[in-house]
Amino acid sequence: MFTTGTKFLVGATVVSIIVTIVYGVTQDGVMGTVGLISASVALAMVTGVNLFTRDANIFVDDEAAVATCPASRPAPGPSPWPLLFAIGAFAMVLGLVTVEPMFIIGIVVMFAGGAEWTAQAWAERASSSTAHNSEVRSRIANPIEYPIGGAAIIGVIAYSFSRIMLWLSKINVVIVFSVVGACILAAAFFFAYRPNVKRSVMVGTMSVAGVALVAGGVVTGLDGERDIHVLETAQGEAAAGLCEDPEKTEADSKAAQTVAAQASVAAEITLNDDGKLTKRLNGPAESSALTLPRSNPSNVLFRNESSEKRRLSVDLGETEIGADSIDTERIQVCTALVEEGGVQNITLNIGPPSNSVEGGYFFFVPGVESAVLELIVP
Amino acid sequence: MNNRTSMSVPKGASTVRSVSRRLRIAAAVGLGALVAGCAQDAPQNTFDPAGPNAQRIQNLQVPVFIIAGIVGVITLSVIAFVVWRYRDRGQAIPEQTHGKPALEIGLTILPALILIGVAIPTVSTVFALAETDDTECVINVTGQQWWWEVDYPVQDGCGGISAPIVTSGQMVLPVDTPVLVRGTSRDVIHSWWIPRLNGKRDMVPGRVQTNRMQADEPGIYAGQCTEFCGLSHANMRMEVIALEADDFEVWKANQLSDYESPTNELALAGESTFIAQCSRCHQVNGLTDGDGDPIVSRPDLNVYSGAAPNLSYLMTRTTFAGAMFDLLTPECRADVWEAPPDEFGERYLEGVTPECLNRVQLREWLRNSPAEKPMYTDPNELAATNGLPRGMPYLALSEGQIDELVAYLLERK
Repeated sequence: MFTTGTKFLVGATVVSIIVTIVYGVTQDGVMGTVGLISASVALAMVTGVNLFTRDANIFVDDEAAVATCPASRPAPGPSPWPLLFAIGAFAMVLGLVTVEPMFIIGIVVMFAGGAEWTAQAWAERASSSTAHNSEVRSRIANPIEYPIGGAAIIGVIAYSFSRIMLWLSKINVVIVFSVVGACILAAAFFFAYRPNVKRSVMVGTMSVAGVALVAGGVVTGLDGERDIHVLETAQGEAAAGLCEDPEKTEADSKAAQTVAAQASVAAEITLNDDGKLTKRLNGPAESSALTLPRSNPSNVLFRNESSEKRRLSVDLGETEIGADSIDTERIQVCTALVEEGGVQNITLNIGPPSNSVEGGYFFFVPGVESAVLELIVP
Repeated sequence: MNNRTSMSVPKGASTVRSVSRRLRIAAAVGLGALVAGCAQDAPQNTFDPAGPNAQRIQNLQVPVFIIAGIVGVITLSVIAFVVWRYRDRGQAIPEQTHGKPALEIGLTILPALILIGVAIPTVSTVFALAETDDTECVINVTGQQWWWEVDYPVQDGCGGISAPIVTSGQMVLPVDTPVLVRGTSRDVIHSWWIPRLNGKRDMVPGRVQTNRMQADEPGIYAGQCTEFCGLSHANMRMEVIALEADDFEVWKANQLSDYESPTNELALAGESTFIAQCSRCHQVNGLTDGDGDPIVSRPDLNVYSGAAPNLSYLMTRTTFAGAMFDLLTPECRADVWEAPPDEFGERYLEGVTPECLNRVQLREWLRNSPAEKPMYTDPNELAATNGLPRGMPYLALSEGQIDELVAYLLERK
C-alpha cells in the first residue's frame, strides 16, 4: 500500500508531466517548457526515491516496524560542514575565472569542509547514542582541528597586524603598537589579578579585540600599504648602457638591498642641491678624492639630495675588446635613477689600480657636469 | 689472618693520606697552570698595554677579574664547605623546609648589584673603545687568506699623504697619534688584534669596520688573526710599527720614492725573472716593460682573493709571507725588537741589509712556498675556486732564478 504522501508525490509527478506536455505543445515559450521539464524530473526523482526506500510500506499500527524503520532513528543535528563545503566549491569555481588565491582558498575550504563533514557523518553512524557519537567525533577530529585552527588563528592575527603596520606611517606604527602593546599588557595584568572577573567579560573583551583586529586588517589590507620606496639597484644599468643617461633606468626591484649591504659601507656619496658630490667617511676627512681598496667589493651608498632623479656612475676607463685588441670599450658601473632624497647602494670591485688607467677613475652624475669625484684605487 | 689485621692501616689514617695526596696533585696542577702563564718574551701580552685603548681595557679587566675571582673563591669555598660538612655519614635526613624570603631576596639582589657594578664600567668602556672621532690619520687594512694588506689613502692626516701607500704584514704609524684603522676582508671573516694596542675587531667582507690604534712609544707590537679563517689561520700574523713623527715622515717619503733600477747584473736578471714569474700577482711600483709601459699586476685574475702583497719596498719591512717569517736574521731581528724606544726608529728604518737578510728562509720560500706555509695551491684541487690558488703557488724556479730574485728583491727598499 502507498501512503498518502506517496500518493501525493505520484500524483504531483503525473500532473507536472501532463502540464509540461500541454504547455510545451500549446505555448512557444522554451524557457517555460524547460522549467516545467525540470520540475517534472525533480518530482519524478523524489517519487522514485520514496518508492525505492519503501518508506510507504509500513503500517502506522505496526509498532515493531515503526520502531525499527530508518525514520524512527534520531535525525542528525544541524551541521555547518555542508555549507562550508559549498562555500569552498563556490570559491574554487570563482577562483578559476578571477584570481589564483581565491582558487587556492576555495580548495582549502572545500577540503576542510569535506573532511569535517566526512568525520561527522562517520561518527553519527557509530552508535545510536548521540552523546557517544559526538565523543567519537571529538576524539578523532580534535587532534587535527585544534593545531590547524590555532595556526589559522595565529596566521590571521599576524597577517592582520602586518596589514595594519604596513598601512600606518613609519612613525605612527611605532606609536600605535606601543599603545596597543601597553593595552594588552594592562589587560593581562587586570585579568591576572582579578580572577573573579566574569568569564563573559573576558570573552567579550577578547572577541571585541579580535574582531577589531581582523576588521582593521581587512580595511587596511584593502586600502593598501603606505608608500615604500622600491630599492632599485645597479644591476642591469651598465649592461643596458645607461650609465651616462640622465633619464632612463632599468630598475631591478628584486635584487638584494639588504640592511647588511647598507651598513658599515666604505663611503657615502651625496649629490647636493648645488650639483656637487660630497663624500662622508667614518673618521677624519681625507682629501677630496675617495680611496677604495683594490680587488675587493666595496659598498658605496649614493644619496640624492638634488631635486631631480639622478644616478651615480663610475667611469673605470677603457678596455680593449676583440682578439686583435683594436676596439676599446668604456667600463662603467652605475646605480639606477634615484628619486629625491632616495638612497641606493652601489658595489664596486675594481681590479687594476687607478694609476694604471689614463685619466684615472672618477664618479660622475649624468646630467650634472659639476658632480665629479676622483676615485683612487691603490 | 691476625697478621693481616694487625698490619692493616687504620681507616681514618688512610682517608687522611688519600685526601693529602689529592691535595698535592691539585696543587701541582694548579701550579703548572699558573707557571704556564709566565713568559719572558710575550709580545702579545694583553696585560701589558702600550696605548690608551689597551689601557682602557686593562683598567676594566683587572678589577673585573678581581671581582670575579673573589666571587669565584667565595662560591667554591661555600660549596666545598657544604659538601664536606654535610657529606653523607649515615645521619638522618634533616628537616626539609621551603622558603626563606629574606635569604632568597638577598641572594637575588646581591648578584644583581655586582653585575650592575660590573656593567657600568664595561658599557662605558665599550662605548669609549668605539669612539673614533678624535683620530688624526686613516689606515686601511684588508684581510685575505692569509695575510694583511695595509694601505694609506691620500689624506691630510698622517702628516699628509699625497699618493696611496700600499704595504703588507706591518702597519707603520706615528707614535702618540690616534689612528683610525678601517678594515675589511676580501674572502672570509678575519679578525685584527694587536693585544697591546687595542681589542680585536672582526674584518668582514663587504663591510668596513673601524678600530682606533695609538701607541705610546716607538716599537713593534705583534698581533695575530683571531677569527679562524682556514688552513693557515695560525700563520696569519701582523705587526704594528710605531715610529716617532720624524721617523714616520722618513718612512712615508721612502714608500713614495721612485723606482730604482737594479744596480748589479744579478739583480738586473732578477728584474726580468720577476717580470716573467711574479708580476702577474705582485706589484712593484714604477716597474716598466721593454717598451717603457708600466707593468700592472693583475692578482684579481690570478689569485682567489684577488690580491697579493705589494713588493715595491719589501726590504723596508722586516717580515714576509703574512708576517710568518722574518726577513732579518735572528741577531738582526733581536737588534730591532730589543732596541730602546729612542733608537728603535733608526734601526727599523735601516730595513733589511744584505748582511741581515734571512736568505735561507727567503730562498726556501721562493723554492717552494706551499711547503713553507700551508695554502691551497695544488692545481689538481682548485675546482672550487675556478683554478685560482689561495696563497702563493709553487713556481718551479731554478736555483739560478732564486738567486736572481733574491738579489732583485734585496734592492726593493
